[in-house]
Amino acid sequence: MESIRVLLVDDENDFRRTVAKRLTKRGMDIRQATGGEECLNILKKDPVDVVVLDLKMPGMDGMETLHHIKNSCPGTEVIMLTGHATTRDGVDGIKAGAFDYLSKPIELEHLAGKIRQAFEKRTREDEKQKEKDFRARMEQQMIATERLASLGTLAAGVAHEINNPLAIIKESAGWMKSILQKKELAQMPRRGDFEMALGKIENGVERARRITHQLLGSVKQTDATLSKVDLKELVEETMVLHQKEADQKGVQLLETIDPGKNVIWSDPYKLRQVLINILSNAVHATDAGGKITVTAETSEDHATLTISDSGRGIPGEHLKKIFEPFFSTKPTGEGTGLGLFVTRSIIDKLGGEIEVESRVGQGTQFSVKLPKHPDVKCNSNKGSYKGQNDERA
Amino acid sequence: MVRIPTRVLLVDDEEDFVEMLSLRLKEAGEQVSTAYSGKACLDILAQDHIDVVILDIRMPGMDGMETLGEIKKRFPLVEVIMLTGHGSAETAVDGMKLGAFDYLMKPADFEELTHKLQGARRRKDEQEERIRQAEARLLMRKSGGTF
Repeated sequence: MESIRVLLVDDENDFRRTVAKRLTKRGMDIRQATGGEECLNILKKDPVDVVVLDLKMPGMDGMETLHHIKNSCPGTEVIMLTGHATTRDGVDGIKAGAFDYLSKPIELEHLAGKIRQAFEKRTREDEKQKEKDFRARMEQQMIATERLASLGTLAAGVAHEINNPLAIIKESAGWMKSILQKKELAQMPRRGDFEMALGKIENGVERARRITHQLLGSVKQTDATLSKVDLKELVEETMVLHQKEADQKGVQLLETIDPGKNVIWSDPYKLRQVLINILSNAVHATDAGGKITVTAETSEDHATLTISDSGRGIPGEHLKKIFEPFFSTKPTGEGTGLGLFVTRSIIDKLGGEIEVESRVGQGTQFSVKLPKHPDVKCNSNKGSYKGQNDERA
Repeated sequence: MVRIPTRVLLVDDEEDFVEMLSLRLKEAGEQVSTAYSGKACLDILAQDHIDVVILDIRMPGMDGMETLGEIKKRFPLVEVIMLTGHGSAETAVDGMKLGAFDYLMKPADFEELTHKLQGARRRKDEQEERIRQAEARLLMRKSGGTF
């Protein structure tokens, strides 16, 4: 157990030193100060658990020091020593936030006991605070998760309904186009205008089609088909798909996975989709001369794939949103904003977790942690982010 | 060379879609019939010669998968290409296991559709050709190899 950090503040040197020595013997970590100012300076640099504070001191007295301590480090507990003063001073001290008071002359055993009590109170309060923070964080995450889930379901429903009218628009435009290409219409006035506009309709439909298909892909993941997946093989296969684009950009694709050692049970098709999404983002975000590395690590019941790029990075304000549907920093029409949303929902369904870390100008790293033997369709949802100042344009 | 049109039966409950796609396929030189339900599809198959059925999976009443099962039972040589609006390939893959030639996601790319249509047509032609040859051999054997 770590020792209790105590700061003794008293201008009577002999008394303070004796107490310090005897408390040290009892396993406490003692610092000393001769007055209020020194006490506050020490606390500023190195916080302690409990301050034992003499009330009557020259310069800044005990009460004033107490106020300062409670202002600047409210978590620190203070025990007042009232010496020859009256009990009332001690009571005032408690009212001002001290843990308790003792009257000089003190019995050392008594003081040590009080210090321990004060420390326990502090520990309890720390734990309470931590629990509170944790709960607040969880609640926030739950809200975000639920919001995403309902958004996703709604969006998929809309996507489905839109596919049919899209198909009608597409076939109508295509039909008109094929009529325009007929010999008898070769002399039609402003034929080029019609063709141009029909082309625009087709492009528009194609864009909408990409969105609806990705959305439906994210929600309609019915049954995962599990089989043995060698992560090395999967990564190699997927990299081949991106090799051409990477070569054109002058980006290096690397993979340093031990053969045969990273084998898990999972859905190879879904997993490949995950890899495709992450890798294609990485290629997009990395400029000539950059490098994308995929590594794998296996523990007893998990395997973690890490995809790192030396690209532009993702700024902090974007990092929070990258898993949300329709968030994209690509120019309108190029990104659907669904890639990572889909990626995350796939990983959730495979019982895994995805994390991202990114630094502006240095690169981004995605870690995908997957269970070796997944309990498919557990509803855990843990896409999380932790990032500082980052950039991906 | 004169191109022999593929006899296509287009089945979907979306009437506008059926109408437009059939116009387009006709424009491309195919011979197209249409049906708005699985039942109507089977009725047409019973009467007319059809090479390839383009079948929507999601239809009210008798759905695409059920229709596919009936087609393969009653008209095993007719090829089927499935259209799925689900955006999920799983059902379509199940359909292929039941004997469908291939599937397309809605809204489908016309080039891809014509490509798959040709593939389906070719498979049917080849199968029919094999049957003819087998029948011929059978006839030869029965007639003792002499005419």
